[in-house]
Amino acid sequence: MTAFTLSEEETQVQATARAFLRDFVDNTYLNEQEESPTGFEASRWGRMRDLGWSSVHLPARVGGADGTLVDAALITRECGRAAYASPLLQTLRSATVLDAIAADKTYDDVLAGIVGGAIATLVAPPDRTVMAESVADGFALSGPPVVVEWLAQAEWVVLVLPTVERGWLGAVVTADSFGERAVDVPSIDNERMVRLDLDGMVLPSEAVRTTDLSAEDAAYALARADLLRASAMVGGAQDVVERSATYALERHQFGQPLGKFQAVRHHLARMVIAADGAQLLCDDALNRALPGAQETAVARAALFAAGRSYMDVVLTAAQVHGGVGTTVEHVLHHHFRRAKAMQLRSGRRSSRLRELHQGLVVRREAVEGSLW
Amino acid sequence: MKTVLGPDQRSFLAELRSYLDGLDPELVESTRAENIADPMQPREHGRRFLRQLAADGWLGVSWPTEYGGQGRTEIEHWLFAEELYSRRLPNGLLTLNVIGPTLMLTGTEEQKADYLPRIINGELVFAIGYSEPDAGSDLASLRTRAVRDGDEYVVNGQKLWTTGGHVATHYWLAARTGKQEDRHRGVSLFIVPMDAPGITVTPIVTQGGERTTSVYLDDVRIPASQRIGEENEGWAAIVCALNFERMFFHNEPRWELEQLADWAREQGLLEGESADAYALQERMGEHAVDVEICRLFALRGASMLADGKVPVAEASANKIWWGELRQRICNTGLDLIGEEGAIAHGSPYAPAHGHLEHGLQSSPVWRFGGGTNEIQLDMIANQGLGMPR
Repeated sequence: MTAFTLSEEETQVQATARAFLRDFVDNTYLNEQEESPTGFEASRWGRMRDLGWSSVHLPARVGGADGTLVDAALITRECGRAAYASPLLQTLRSATVLDAIAADKTYDDVLAGIVGGAIATLVAPPDRTVMAESVADGFALSGPPVVVEWLAQAEWVVLVLPTVERGWLGAVVTADSFGERAVDVPSIDNERMVRLDLDGMVLPSEAVRTTDLSAEDAAYALARADLLRASAMVGGAQDVVERSATYALERHQFGQPLGKFQAVRHHLARMVIAADGAQLLCDDALNRALPGAQETAVARAALFAAGRSYMDVVLTAAQVHGGVGTTVEHVLHHHFRRAKAMQLRSGRRSSRLRELHQGLVVRREAVEGSLW
Repeated sequence: MKTVLGPDQRSFLAELRSYLDGLDPELVESTRAENIADPMQPREHGRRFLRQLAADGWLGVSWPTEYGGQGRTEIEHWLFAEELYSRRLPNGLLTLNVIGPTLMLTGTEEQKADYLPRIINGELVFAIGYSEPDAGSDLASLRTRAVRDGDEYVVNGQKLWTTGGHVATHYWLAARTGKQEDRHRGVSLFIVPMDAPGITVTPIVTQGGERTTSVYLDDVRIPASQRIGEENEGWAAIVCALNFERMFFHNEPRWELEQLADWAREQGLLEGESADAYALQERMGEHAVDVEICRLFALRGASMLADGKVPVAEASANKIWWGELRQRICNTGLDLIGEEGAIAHGSPYAPAHGHLEHGLQSSPVWRFGGGTNEIQLDMIANQGLGMPR
């Protein structure tokens, strides 16, 4: 249905990204990459770097394009739409967080590296399960293992963690710092993952570049980064709705297209409502997520809605498509797996909802920040 | 992204709030109580309230200045509606928000000159006469007949679910002028004063306490000048009016969620750490997300109207989301309260001020009024996705 929020330049960013991906991404390609040793093509990564995708929203000071979070989110939306797996989302999330928490030029070397094509990934467990505690030579970490996308392929690993004493820390280490603590694990979707056991590890002092970051600032930096994932899920949901509608017109049973059966029509209409709701909230949150705006609650709401809607639409799409949608010959199987994996990467549903309750109902953040 | 709500819109809202805050508290409180009891029809206080707004130039925010409006965009009109719904005060309902705009698009110059000034003055209240005992969702099968007799039509039949029929000054009436088998191509639309000879209104009381009516038409004579659009071409105006109607569902779910929050605060659950508190917080967290989505479905429709487009599938999505969410908040809110939730509204002991229980009883109409949600889903499939009919 009608989108009403994009400017002309943004529409152009979206169209360019879509055309680029359409040129080579289809189900066969996605299957090949998923089975390949690295999970993505370095040559495509180079091309995306040349297009400025991983630095579109970074300041010109480090070589970025000085764009906005919206520009970055439109690129992740198109990747989500194509079900395209690559280290881009993690790199963009890492860059977004570093840019937000940097005092002056704290992370300029890393950001400049990202502009130059370095892959980065972010360790910031959504359920705050890993804690840091100040020790003589740095910060000791404790907590259960976490899973991190694309760590094995990354050059930099960004950590944003709460400390026992006070505030949050920001740190950057090279990806080879973890040794046997990082173990490749299969992901349910086509992204790559490691299981990372940080318990007992000491982050050396020189790696920890930000300390005493307030919980509010850390939360907002992460919420902005997570909007990029929300946008990817919105793109995925949109593609699933469109494919399902196309299929309902093409597939005939009982002498008529599926789209003539009211039960199917109602499924499709519910999918439209789910995808539209997620998109509207994601766009609203992106609009409001200016640096320093502290619009954490609405950004978190957008992340929740995007995960919920993406899952809702893939479940119904599988029903509309029947058997064909479950085969590895159909791109729907990538969306199906990606929807759940991406939703789970936001952490536990109950924790997210209680957080939303705190932000939206108790603290009325969306109300204070906007209208009601 | 394009800024939908800029400084102009925010200062408009501030101005509106300051105006509403300055109104006579007695007028506001009595209007609010009346509106909460039965929001679908402005009665004694609601009429007084709307006339006050009209006198102060606050009705018809997006109406063109030539019709006495403020000439602002649909975005300001949306803000106006949201703010009044947020305060549970009437905002002109169907008369101002549906009949007026439809008349602007489909009425003759004489009709516009006759009705629009009186609508924007708060003088007129319209009731809508579409449904009949045998024509509900299948409105095109309606049987109330209007027969041409010189310069007049003579109307006979029965209408059902005419909400506000007993307080309305005028009737927005769909009647058959063509053949029954012509269905929607044989329907014309008329305006007739509610006190015209031959009109009898009988009350229907619903479970939530809201009133609606049956309207009997017995040789009612309507001048041909009061026909909206050409003979047998009333359907376009009906569709137009229904699309406006489906965009005027707004901020009530937020208000209902706040009633639940009041109760949870009293119980120590709003920020508690117990299992019950966690259960409540999870439920309310999801409702709060859905309330924000509700705001944005309405804003999308307003933005389209501001761009000169008429939302169709978008209006259907808005109406479905709004009604289902409100019902869900009332129903699951009572689940969180437990046995005390069975205390009826009106009792000082009713939790959440009795609003969730009252809302739940009122809620069926939210899902079928203004076109059933099932028909809305079909419209999204047709208009939004291009499915075959």
